[in-house]
Amino acid sequence: MATFKAPVEDIKYLNNEFLDTSELSGIPMFDEMTPDLTDVIFEEAGKISEALLFPLNRSGDEQGCSFNNGKVTTPDGFKEAYTEMTKSGWGNLTCNKQHGGQGLPHYIANAVDEMIISSNMSFSIYMGLTIGAYNAIEKFASEGLKQKFLPNMVSGKWSGTMCLTEPHCGTDLALIRTLATPLSDGSYDITGSKIFISAGEHDLTENILHLVLARTPGAPAGIKGISLFIVPKIKINKDDSLDEPNNVTCSGIEHKMGIKASSTCAIEFKESQGYLIGELNKGMKAMFIMMNGARIHVGIQGLAQAHASYSGAVDYAKERLQGRSLTGIKHPDKVADPLIVHPNVRHMLMSMKAYTEGARALSTWLSFKLDVSHHAKTKQQRQEADELVSLVTPVFKSFLTDIGETVTSLGIQVYGGHGYIRENGMEQYLRDARICKIYEGTNGIQALDLVGRKLPTHMGRYLRYFFHPLSNFLESHAENESMSAYIQPLTKSFFRLQTATLVIAQKGLANPDEAGAAARDYLNIFGLVALGYMWAKMAGQALNNSGNMPKNFYDAKLKTGLFFMQKLLPQTGSLLSSIMAGGHSTMSLNEDQF
Amino acid sequence: MKIETVVVIGAGVMGSGIAAQIANAGKKVLLLDIIPDGADNRNILAETAIQKLIKVKPAALMHKRNAKLITAGNLEDNLADLAHIDWIIEVIIERLDLKQELYKKIDAVRKHGSIVSSNTSTLPLTDLTAGLSEQFANDFLITHFFNPPRYMRLLEIVVGEKTRPAAVDTLRDFCDHQLGKGVVICNDTPGFIANRIGAFWMQTAMLEAFRLGLTVEEADALCGRPMGIPKTGVFGLLDLVGIDIMPHVMNSMTQSLPKNDPFQEQAVIPKLVHKMISDGYTGRKGKGGFYRINKAQGAKIKESINLSDGEYAPSKKALLASLAPHIVKDLQKLVSFDDKGGEFAWSVLSKTLSYSAQLIPEIGDNIDAIDRAMKLGYNWKYGPFELIDKIGADWFIDKLVSEQQSVPPLLLLAQNKHFYKVEDGQRQRLDIKGIYQPIQRDEGILLLADIKLANRPIKKNASASLWDIGDGVLCLEFHSKMNAIDPDILAMIDTAVKIIPNNYKTLVLYNEGENFSVGANIGLALFAANVAAWPQIEAMVRSGQDTYKALKHAPFPVVGAPAGMALGGGCESLLHCDAIQAHAESYIGLVEVGVGLIPAWGGSKEMLSRWMANPKRAKGPMPAISKAFEIISTATVSTSAAEAQNYLFINEADSITMNKERLLFDAKDKALSLVNGYSPKEEIQLALPGATARTALNLAATSFVQSGKATEYDGTIADQLAMVLSGGETDISELQSEDDLYSLERKAFMALIKKDNTLNRVQHMLEAGKPLRN
Repeated sequence: MATFKAPVEDIKYLNNEFLDTSELSGIPMFDEMTPDLTDVIFEEAGKISEALLFPLNRSGDEQGCSFNNGKVTTPDGFKEAYTEMTKSGWGNLTCNKQHGGQGLPHYIANAVDEMIISSNMSFSIYMGLTIGAYNAIEKFASEGLKQKFLPNMVSGKWSGTMCLTEPHCGTDLALIRTLATPLSDGSYDITGSKIFISAGEHDLTENILHLVLARTPGAPAGIKGISLFIVPKIKINKDDSLDEPNNVTCSGIEHKMGIKASSTCAIEFKESQGYLIGELNKGMKAMFIMMNGARIHVGIQGLAQAHASYSGAVDYAKERLQGRSLTGIKHPDKVADPLIVHPNVRHMLMSMKAYTEGARALSTWLSFKLDVSHHAKTKQQRQEADELVSLVTPVFKSFLTDIGETVTSLGIQVYGGHGYIRENGMEQYLRDARICKIYEGTNGIQALDLVGRKLPTHMGRYLRYFFHPLSNFLESHAENESMSAYIQPLTKSFFRLQTATLVIAQKGLANPDEAGAAARDYLNIFGLVALGYMWAKMAGQALNNSGNMPKNFYDAKLKTGLFFMQKLLPQTGSLLSSIMAGGHSTMSLNEDQF
Repeated sequence: MKIETVVVIGAGVMGSGIAAQIANAGKKVLLLDIIPDGADNRNILAETAIQKLIKVKPAALMHKRNAKLITAGNLEDNLADLAHIDWIIEVIIERLDLKQELYKKIDAVRKHGSIVSSNTSTLPLTDLTAGLSEQFANDFLITHFFNPPRYMRLLEIVVGEKTRPAAVDTLRDFCDHQLGKGVVICNDTPGFIANRIGAFWMQTAMLEAFRLGLTVEEADALCGRPMGIPKTGVFGLLDLVGIDIMPHVMNSMTQSLPKNDPFQEQAVIPKLVHKMISDGYTGRKGKGGFYRINKAQGAKIKESINLSDGEYAPSKKALLASLAPHIVKDLQKLVSFDDKGGEFAWSVLSKTLSYSAQLIPEIGDNIDAIDRAMKLGYNWKYGPFELIDKIGADWFIDKLVSEQQSVPPLLLLAQNKHFYKVEDGQRQRLDIKGIYQPIQRDEGILLLADIKLANRPIKKNASASLWDIGDGVLCLEFHSKMNAIDPDILAMIDTAVKIIPNNYKTLVLYNEGENFSVGANIGLALFAANVAAWPQIEAMVRSGQDTYKALKHAPFPVVGAPAGMALGGGCESLLHCDAIQAHAESYIGLVEVGVGLIPAWGGSKEMLSRWMANPKRAKGPMPAISKAFEIISTATVSTSAAEAQNYLFINEADSITMNKERLLFDAKDKALSLVNGYSPKEEIQLALPGATARTALNLAATSFVQSGKATEYDGTIADQLAMVLSGGETDISELQSEDDLYSLERKAFMALIKKDNTLNRVQHMLEAGKPLRN
């Protein structure tokens, strides 16, 4: 059975040393985030992940959720763990203090989330959806609805969902049919079928609040006629006690490749009472605003599964004895050397480590920028950060979930046959991680979002907030000999990214198919350069010798960073060649030739 | 006879505007009006009119000094002066009795052979000359200008039966060459050509919009660009010309046209429009019109009137299905589209085009002249017969027949063919017998549009082409979007520089776009700047410098022939030419500071060297540096070619062509005149003061910033400009070469383009179409 160790040390380093939080200094909420406070949070989160959640990960996968007559039962131990987690406040870190939350910044909460997800992704989904629903209600609902729903969500008494997909429409939400008919008291009758609803039904909370996209009679066609409603599973009385059921039924759960302990439900609404959130016909706007946060969350899921797999693989590679080192016996006391002496295994482990730690640094950086976009003092700072987050979010979601798949697959490979069998848990990481490339907008959609929407907006203005700081960083270190092993390859890849951007911007104007065909390659160059940027920053800090981590820690950062620069970052070269070749070979076959 | 002296009688808006255009042609003009009762100043009307002319926007005068060519007078004291005048233009109130009374006075004093014309738009020529002397009738015609006379290119001339052909020729020649007008000879029928068709179209479009329940935005969106009509459409145009004139026009038309003329049916003024007029909603000159700007809540909100109830509400973009891009670009699809937009388009077009066809030969027998009148007088992109060709004459006839509408006989002549065709590279028009006749250009008119019919370009890429325009002259045409200078245009200039020495004699930069060039394509640069692609951007700057430098020092003469706007990089291309032949309506300037940059394709360098070489300048380099600094740092744009000479965007030795259609011919002529004995320009070397000059310029810039006339960032840009114009780190004892100055320009440009404020200015210019002040 693979072991699991939460990345507490790396997270502490990233938050205490790596991250430059000066943009938000002077704001109490951020000034309070001193290491003596946050270290405790991270350590406790690490402990609860390792001790409470990880032990339920395998069993949860084996047992899965069961469905019986409209009721969904989560695996053994989940209900107790859920109670424990919500009671100790792990579910409301970023929630507003006035609703009973802890009001912590995103960058702290996302680091905690990584550990929770890493130890048990299925379990984390129940908590994650509640936060998603909380955010939408908090941002868009009337004060009355907030008072009605939020405190019980924050306390963990009620959970939330997002109901978008219908049997005939997933990516293309313009086709939504669920109908919301206005009632005389200002509420709505909601009728329709939703599928693929995570945490749509379960036994963890006494009530479930569904956020439902629906259209009102006579609403404009397409996405401009979609509104957002909140529909509780059980109606709520004026005194906030539970009333009768609200005709919200679960008609079944999906049988899935992974995240088996997370219930994925088909939900039927039949004249169920719902409340409008935000403006009529502006439901998609609300969804899009939530989307950045949700997509970053999925990116973190990819990172978290990569970490879990790496954690298991490292221990195994150190213990499992097979063959002798090519350069002579390393452990003469043992019958064979451990796997970790072999270059091929090393390559896999280094790739896993370099991707995972780079992704974690990017996650810390981007989560902080999300905080800047909400809390910076000037409107201009907030807007620039918002545009930066909008630009990087599709890259983050897609690239980190690709990393999730790549790394969890390597984890299996390190284990060999023992990775392929269920008992050791390594294959579960891959199965669990696989969904991340699909939901919250497939990775293909992310690439199109990047190239089709984020690139051309205001003639590339969003790009400025990523490219200019990076260009300045490279320029300021251009003469720094000690960093040249990091700066030179990054400069080369940055140039490829610039070239690709200009080529796509020009080609895309003439022929959108060209931009579409280049989108995935482009996103991947972007992702590699973003990770390279993070690694170069970490290397620079490690070379400064100014931090409080053990010497060995910085040494490992320097070496892992160098591996990234030399072995992983050069993929930008082949990706650029692919982009320069154009989209013709992608699109030239007639449909009947397939 | 040549026209040297002109009098305009009637100092109203039209009369004074005509006088201004005559002054713009460099001719002396006397402006007369009556003496108001009890006036102390007997010339008060004309003098006031001249004062107004100096201030009016858009400017009536091409240069301030032209006001001096206009002399104010009155009809009593100056009547005797008419004895020396070649052309007497009457522009008084539209009353036959008053006009005839005036003509009698004129006839008594005018010199033999002088020409008299009326600017009437409603009175028939036969009535005007009735009862007057035979000689007066011989020398009389109607010259119908459009408002404003400087900018509207159409001039309708109505020739009476008795008018001397020589008088017609003289006037036609003068108005064409000197006043720059597109002259169309018309029959003596009500509304002549342009207003007969134009007023019918406006009425029809307005009434159909009421009938079909369209919003004014919908009507204007359909009745504008899709039909090749300015985007003001019908209601925007009515607001512009004044809604209150419509009842007058209708009145005059219904009285003068026969009872069976289709115009009679269309001459209805809706109740709402009467109410608007009586409430003062007469258009832009009144409280507003079909559109108005509501400033009630402090903000300026554009509102439109609801045609059904007369209430105003914030304007909304028209969103009819028929306005989809793939529909509006195909007229046939538009007029057959099944919604009220399609119905409106068909109804307006079918009525207007049928009416136009029906008016031949009544108003004229040459369809080309009629199309030309609509294009020049109403700024239509296509005349009515060109529109029929676009829809397809057969298709049009079939649809009229299927709706049981009558088909005008002329239209039947075009069955199975087109009104226009090109044969052997020559454009031909259908005449009223159904026979094609070649369309002849007047001597001295050379158009690329015609050359294109018979030739292929020597070289062509996406943004520019090289045309052989005969006699060893090549014409380099820009045709990128808005004629923005991009790498393709630069490459074409390089090509021209390479091939001309061996095969041709000279080069003309000229195009027939709306503007010569709006500047460099900053969209590309902005994208590159956003991704911090600094080396690529610097390469773009250098490439423009290299190309313009090669153009300047090429071993053959180069003539720039701008019309319309020539801004930024477009202006810089002209600054590197040997000579300029400019259309009078050329708006030239280095506007880079508006987008947070400085001219870096040699514009700063050329302005500096031109002012240094100006013989009129005071001693020492400082006056020249200051002048260039002032012109560039304020993004000065000339309001005419004449004014461009003030700023040395074009030199005083350069020439101006009044008539746009004659520009290429004149430019070609000029280029050929430079060929013999041409020696390439030598590199300039300038002695510049460096830091001492910079201090003075910085002081000037700082005072502008401190007084709030310029923003702090304007100051930053000015500092960079000062660095270039002062010669950088130098002193007066060193000589700066052209390359030194190019290098200073580049450095300043690169420093600015890395700044957010510059990028925000560029973005704003591209997205909002106007400069951002930050």
